[in-house]
Amino acid sequence: MSRGNIFLSTLLWLVIAFLVIYPLSILVLESFKIAKTGGWGINNYLEFFQDTYYLKTFGNTLFLSVLVLLTSTLFGVPLAYILARYRLRGKTIFTALILLPIVLPAYAGAFAFVIFFGKYGTLNLLLLEAGLIQTPINFIFGLHGLVFIQALHMLPFIVLSLSAGFTNIDPSFEEAAEVEGAGDFWRFLTVTLPLCTPSYLAGAVIVFLWPFTDWLTPLILGMVDYLPSIAYINIAYHFTDMHRKYMGIVAVVVSSVVCISLFLLSRWWVEKKKYTGLSKGTTLEGRVIEPGALMKLGAYSYMFFITIIVVLIPAVLGLAAFSRRWVFEPFPTYWTLDNFRMIFLETPALIYNSFLFSGVALLFGIAFGLPAAYLIVRTQVRGKDALDFVITLMLAFPGIAVGVSYLLAFWKDIPLATHWIIMPLSLFARRLPYFLRMAHSSYLQLDVSLEEASEVSGAGKLRTFINISLPLLLKGVFIGVVMFFIMAFQEITTAIFLYRGGWETLPIGIYLNWHRGMEFGIAASMAFLMVVITFILLLIISRIGGGILKAAWGPGSR
Amino acid sequence: MAFIEIQNLFKRFKKVVAVNHIRLEVKEGEILTLLGPSGCGKTTTLRCVAGLERPEEGDIVIDGKPMFSEGFVQPSKRGIGMVFQNYAVWPHMKVFDNIVYGLKIQREPRQGVKKKGEQVLELVGLTGLGERYPNQLSGGQQQRVALARALVRNPKVLLLDEPLSNLDAKLREKMRFEIKSLVRRMGLTSVYVTHDQAEAMVISDRIVVMDSGNVVQIGAPEEIYKKPANRFVADFIGTMNFIPGEVVQVHQDTGAVFVRTEFTEKMLCKMSDTMEITPGAKVHASIRPEDVEVFMEPTQGKENLYKGTIVHKAYLGNFLSFFVSVNGTMIRVQVPYHVPQEEGQELYLFLNPQKCMILF
Repeated sequence: MSRGNIFLSTLLWLVIAFLVIYPLSILVLESFKIAKTGGWGINNYLEFFQDTYYLKTFGNTLFLSVLVLLTSTLFGVPLAYILARYRLRGKTIFTALILLPIVLPAYAGAFAFVIFFGKYGTLNLLLLEAGLIQTPINFIFGLHGLVFIQALHMLPFIVLSLSAGFTNIDPSFEEAAEVEGAGDFWRFLTVTLPLCTPSYLAGAVIVFLWPFTDWLTPLILGMVDYLPSIAYINIAYHFTDMHRKYMGIVAVVVSSVVCISLFLLSRWWVEKKKYTGLSKGTTLEGRVIEPGALMKLGAYSYMFFITIIVVLIPAVLGLAAFSRRWVFEPFPTYWTLDNFRMIFLETPALIYNSFLFSGVALLFGIAFGLPAAYLIVRTQVRGKDALDFVITLMLAFPGIAVGVSYLLAFWKDIPLATHWIIMPLSLFARRLPYFLRMAHSSYLQLDVSLEEASEVSGAGKLRTFINISLPLLLKGVFIGVVMFFIMAFQEITTAIFLYRGGWETLPIGIYLNWHRGMEFGIAASMAFLMVVITFILLLIISRIGGGILKAAWGPGSR
Repeated sequence: MAFIEIQNLFKRFKKVVAVNHIRLEVKEGEILTLLGPSGCGKTTTLRCVAGLERPEEGDIVIDGKPMFSEGFVQPSKRGIGMVFQNYAVWPHMKVFDNIVYGLKIQREPRQGVKKKGEQVLELVGLTGLGERYPNQLSGGQQQRVALARALVRNPKVLLLDEPLSNLDAKLREKMRFEIKSLVRRMGLTSVYVTHDQAEAMVISDRIVVMDSGNVVQIGAPEEIYKKPANRFVADFIGTMNFIPGEVVQVHQDTGAVFVRTEFTEKMLCKMSDTMEITPGAKVHASIRPEDVEVFMEPTQGKENLYKGTIVHKAYLGNFLSFFVSVNGTMIRVQVPYHVPQEEGQELYLFLNPQKCMILF
């Protein structure tokens, strides 16, 4: 254990302590504060769980989570199977399109679907014109619409984790079942699916936690009775009402506790049930089948169906972005670049801020992530497992918890919240695991003897890192960099609590434009702009990373 | 004074002891092989010499300079060459850049880098391939790149960690001889790690047999084969029949020992000079399959002649392998291919007392 490693580890722990542990403990402490007396106690929690409204909200959120998980699984299983197992032409491009929601901001989808499926949206108007219906159908406003939007947004997580599972199963397991006489469907049910459960669960838990994080989609659809939404409203709009403020804080803590416990539970279960170690190594592709004609047709139509829905998002946003006064018409009638003129000329600060904050957050991310990955993979420094654990835990923390805790922690004693640096800092803390995971997994793939060979040849540790490790890690690191940037760029859950006048980013601009009831077109065109920027970034990774699928997920997916 | 001296080396990983206070000396210019099953500590020992592992205790001296005792010399400062099991050829560098990496680190002038690089390329038979990338080479060629890289700085010591285990059988056999003659020609002091006893036999001047972190025996290949120190060595190197029994008589002057076994009251064996045996000791009368002679008829006047039944017969091309049951004790025999006997038939085994050794 060299002195340098201990120093490095101490430094990283200090960062974690300051940016993660300190604010989150302030959040928890605050939730135990009694507003009236200024003392401490569990009164807030008692009030929360005795109030039928908050109990209902809690129940609603759980129910929503179950529905979202069921829906995305129902649609995801066939999709994952097709993508992993069938040999089909054009699979790559379909995969890329189907996985698109993972990198698109959730609110982009919500806006697009409100425009398209709304009461007087494109679909209803078309149906009315055709005389198929007499009164508009409510496609989107309500629980069904919320489930649809959230399930579609989370679909890639299910598809990716399941198809990774399908691909990684040793083919001989299924062949053995076949030899024993199991038919296709029976084999799928009794061998394939059970073997996939660990990898499915890893994705499923992320999906299940989403309704505990996403406060904006319910609001867009006109619903507030969900934990994150009510927490946001209570804290952001009713902070002077002590009761509502504390109920909001409790809601945030309760969401966090649910998220963290479920996350840990699933991790524990996955660790226990890992089957992959049983196999003797698999072929690169896994088991790929040539489907029959009927199956092929079915597979194509299914992929096409999902793709259409996904592509609606950029398409509808595009239409809205280049038009104005698009009301009561199935398609825009007045085309203009006015929206973009507004964005670029009247509020260029939004774009500038977005790039600045994401860029600075990214620098923090690299400066932290690379040494952390090195420590965790290559050294035996004490406490490195704990470091890994804490960072990974941030995956499960709702963004709203980070935002609220920063607001509470960096206001009075450490007045960091008065400086714009708080924005990138919070982005960095929220997306901490993303870059680290990718640096980590590419480090794991880097055979240690490559570095040892350099040391034996006379190069010191630093020189070895520069000459050997860094060039070989570069690809994985670069993908991590771009993914981090994409995620930071579209971040809103955390930033919404911390921004002040002049610090607005594009996502905040989108929210404000929608919220203040200004021209919807501006919000839509901002969202469109974000989709375009994201797409360009993705294209860059796919050029370097090889395969668009990898671009959407990074090298750690396998 | 030996070129590499290892004293009292101790290394453990968490609770598992990998190397248990061993002592080793490597003479200048010799090829010493560390041989043993996986997990015996051979690779850990080698990595301690390289400086890639830091021992808990012990001294390591190379060419009179202490590498580890109080202080610790970094691997980059030890002036060694090393060939890794998976070659560890850097995929992002061309073959030539891979090879001369160490020279550039030493700030060798450009002329020297080019000359030495070309020389070593020729030495390992890769002339003209310097501009290729490693993924354009076969496994055997990558192996040579790794070797060239280890040799280019003219190291005092060459360490080889199972360098041939990733090659196919034919190539492996060829490379054994190539590496040996190359190392000989350069007069390098080498430590070679392998779990393949045949490889160790071919390549080494001396073999160190290791088992669970301990050195079991050190000696020339022939010595190890003919006079194994214990059952482990005898079993690991070659094949050996172990016939359990009890000592009944000992003649210190002639070295003759009589053993009572399952099938005979008095089997004559020879003990080594250093052994101390007393009647009553539980031992194994041990003989290699190729030292057992077979007869069709009982021959008069021979000791250790026993009747047996062939249970299995296997044709192995240049010889036959029999499993013969002598009163229920199974003895493996290697006989010339023209012995006509079939399974189920009887024959007589002569367990030559001169070659019948006592092992515990």
